[in-house]
Amino acid sequence: MIVQPKSMLRRVGNAMRWVVLILAVTILNLPVITTFLTSFKSTADINAFPPKWIFSPTLDHYREVLITGNTHYPSYIWNSVVIATVGTLLAIALTFPAAYAIARHRTGSTWLLPIVSNLRALPLIIFAIPFYFMYQSLGLLDTRIGLALIACVINIPLALLMLVGFIQDIPRDLDEAASLDGANVWQILRHVIWPASRPILFTVAVLSFIYSWNEFLFGLILSTKNAVPVTVGATFFVTSYGVKWGATAAAMILGILPPLLIGFFAYPYIGKSMLRGAIKG
Amino acid sequence: MKNLLLASTIAALTTASAAIADITILAWPGGDPEKALREVVTLYNDTQGKEDGSKADVIYFSRQGFKEKMLTDAAAGSTEFDLMLTATYDIGRYAPFMLPIDDLIDDETYKVFPPNAIETQKFEGSVYGIPNDLSLHFLYYREDYIGQLLSDPAWIERYQEISEKHLGQRLSPKAPEEWNWDDYIATAFFFTRSINADSPTRYGTVLQLKNLLFNMMLWQATVASHGGDWQDGDGNITIDSDAFRRGLAIYKTIVDNKATPGDSSSYEYGEANSAFGSGQVAFMIQWNAAVPELNDPEQNPEVAGKFALTHQPAGPEGIKTHFHSLGLGLSAASENKDDARKFLRWLGTSVEANTMYAQLGGSPPVVDAIMSKVADKRPDLPMMGEHAGSYGFVMNGGTSEHALRLYEIIAENFTGYWAGELSEDEAISNVEEEMRKAFAG
Amino acid sequence: MSYHASKHKEGMLLLSGLCVFMAFMLGYPAVANIWYSLSNISFSDIHTSEFVGLVNFENQLFSPKMWKAMGFSLQFGLICAALEVVLALLLVFTLHPILSRRPWLTAFLMLPMMVSPALMGVMYRLMLNEFAGVVPLYFEMFGVYVNFLGPENIYTTVIVIEVLQWTPFALLILLAARQAVSPDIEEAANMDGAKPLQLIRFIFLPAMLPAIVIVAFIRFIDSFRVFDHIFVLTGGGPGSKTTSISIYIYKLFFNQNAIGEAVAVSLILLFMSLILFVMAAKLIFRSE
Repeated sequence: MIVQPKSMLRRVGNAMRWVVLILAVTILNLPVITTFLTSFKSTADINAFPPKWIFSPTLDHYREVLITGNTHYPSYIWNSVVIATVGTLLAIALTFPAAYAIARHRTGSTWLLPIVSNLRALPLIIFAIPFYFMYQSLGLLDTRIGLALIACVINIPLALLMLVGFIQDIPRDLDEAASLDGANVWQILRHVIWPASRPILFTVAVLSFIYSWNEFLFGLILSTKNAVPVTVGATFFVTSYGVKWGATAAAMILGILPPLLIGFFAYPYIGKSMLRGAIKG
Repeated sequence: MKNLLLASTIAALTTASAAIADITILAWPGGDPEKALREVVTLYNDTQGKEDGSKADVIYFSRQGFKEKMLTDAAAGSTEFDLMLTATYDIGRYAPFMLPIDDLIDDETYKVFPPNAIETQKFEGSVYGIPNDLSLHFLYYREDYIGQLLSDPAWIERYQEISEKHLGQRLSPKAPEEWNWDDYIATAFFFTRSINADSPTRYGTVLQLKNLLFNMMLWQATVASHGGDWQDGDGNITIDSDAFRRGLAIYKTIVDNKATPGDSSSYEYGEANSAFGSGQVAFMIQWNAAVPELNDPEQNPEVAGKFALTHQPAGPEGIKTHFHSLGLGLSAASENKDDARKFLRWLGTSVEANTMYAQLGGSPPVVDAIMSKVADKRPDLPMMGEHAGSYGFVMNGGTSEHALRLYEIIAENFTGYWAGELSEDEAISNVEEEMRKAFAG
Repeated sequence: MSYHASKHKEGMLLLSGLCVFMAFMLGYPAVANIWYSLSNISFSDIHTSEFVGLVNFENQLFSPKMWKAMGFSLQFGLICAALEVVLALLLVFTLHPILSRRPWLTAFLMLPMMVSPALMGVMYRLMLNEFAGVVPLYFEMFGVYVNFLGPENIYTTVIVIEVLQWTPFALLILLAARQAVSPDIEEAANMDGAKPLQLIRFIFLPAMLPAIVIVAFIRFIDSFRVFDHIFVLTGGGPGSKTTSISIYIYKLFFNQNAIGEAVAVSLILLFMSLILFVMAAKLIFRSE
């Protein structure tokens, strides 16, 4: 049998791709991997010089974060799940029709889109005091719903920008055909645009979830006991008497799990629907 | 999913207003003091609290952004807490949001806290807080290495050579109690491996040079021991002075000769402890709070039990240490002022509570009678009392409403100078100008 | 009613939800902030403030420190956005065949984004530390001694941290854009004997251009207003070397108690970013 030089080349090329993938995953995740290892080191091993490669793992830090640390870490995680989920779904519900209007009708493309997108460029801190007063009078201080509404505000620029960009690329023939069949705008949105946008909707949802999950400033300023999100909760181990590295690492690793689960759940779906969308389009 | 969301939304809205205690205390988070304060609050609830018909609870914000959160809450009149953290250096900033408690201070209080401790919680003549924790600085040094330096002829010889070469004068090793700032610098050089290849440690000392206001408190004993101050008796700003230039130069010499780790410009409290705890640093000036951590063989096996404490090196004006106290004061927005005052009164007069607080790891600036009771468990406490009394200083203006903001400006400019971003003259004139503006209006 | 008028009405209806929500959430803060920027508001007297005209704007527009921070952010944003887009493109073209067959692998590449930058900054304090940190140790194994957080390297370090964390963002979106390119076009070009690089140059890059512009724009804006990890690692220092505009505003706001000036800088920023957006929008809305 003659070995095809071309297939040989392809195999080498493919192997190279795997090498790149593994390198990329390792380098990009180096901080996370290191943190993961740190979370299992005893405090003496964390402080050791030179740093240790081999150590006997301990669960003490996880125990401190979850049980003995006088914090309510599981409830912080739950708070963040609620805040990020509500903030994400609401942002999509609000921006999806708006993005369609902007992309197709050009309504608001000259005023709404610039104003909303610019919000992302603003340091959010200047809203800290007005939001505080507003929430104080509405009774929204230290509530998950209050923080979810802010998460939504933070997500809207990204969601709107990405959805407008994507919906523009959906062929106009699709909605024009539906329109000729007598479909009204809501039906077009529901039956034509929504299915075609599914990959980007998932992407926006995952990204919005992550951004909401990572929000720190408003979580700090607007929560006290009941709505403390996980980012703020994790810094409870950064104390005025030094950083509890191990506990902070454990808190960080626990805080990654929910978005990671969503990632694993969502990506295959994004990938598949992208291919399907591409074949249809 | 929809039901779940709805349910959690409703839950979120309803739990927000649920109260669990009569009074809520906002305190400084972390370490043994946090654990100790929780115990003290439990003690109150089990004893005096029952008599007062009041129940106390403690909350802690994250250390990261603590002051920002507290400032926003206080300024907006939050009712989430009744008692709030006070500190010598920011009483001026928070005084508008607090109520004075002078009427809670009398002879009963002075049986627990000496008058000069209460003094650290005063602003414009009124007392705003009951002090909980005293903070000041010690020189932490490795007894083994300094001991050898004082006795080993080869080391003494080498020390003399190094001091002659780098400082221009032939110095002999001295015990840390007798150091002046030249001895401090010379010893730092001696224990730096890039200068002295035989040094057992990589660096002589470790400086905390991050752009952070607390680091400036740590530094400014160099200035005070040379007679420097923010302003003189007439209110003239005196940053542009020999004392400040000398203080800046002490650090600059150590930085430029790499006698402190190369990444010191990002160091604060924790990093300095890591460096010292790794056994690669011979001595450092550090907050008193680091003692238990560094002496714990579980956490720092390299140095636990191997170091001793003393005061900072002397300048021409003697030995100085920055000091301040943290305390608890009454929030003006509190809805339970009566109960909150009862708690403060108890905290300020209870020998039992303060003894317990000290034994569990807090550092209350209490009278000698109480200090001596806990001295076997907390040998650092009497020493702190003594240092605060003999060497303690507060910069003139260091408790004003501008103090925090001025510390920030000092931090930005002086860390910039040490890192080579700014010249000495620029750094000093920037600080002078801002300080003049602040105190002018 | 004309066709256009009805379209316009329909468009307004579609926008109404978003507009009402934004008005509800940001109406009061916007008005309050405009007032703050024109007043002498401070924390010590937050409920009463006096009108001072344009003093806050004047103070800040002529402040060299403000422009220095603005310059830092601009440079930081441009460098990071460029690096992230280029790296992501390289990864997308290399890894597309693998990832389109095994999409779940993508989740591993997304992992860095899932950590809050504030926490990541805290962990970098440990990781990059000369004594307890493992990263200097990795480098020492190759005989390289680096002080990642020393004044000479801090700028590079904060850029690398940003790029490591956010290249995945660019990767995710550009991968989606690459996968959206119709396989028919790819096959047709393959049949014509196009080389891989030609494919990329003439087929994929033009098709992905809108996505590239959007990604670069979003990443530029996000990096421009960088705050958390730098603030935690350096406090904006040494000196003001790593003070981004967000850190500058934050310090004005909380530390210097100059709320009005902080808001004024933000409004200046808003104005400048509007100009930027108009330029970006022209690229996003390709002529039809």
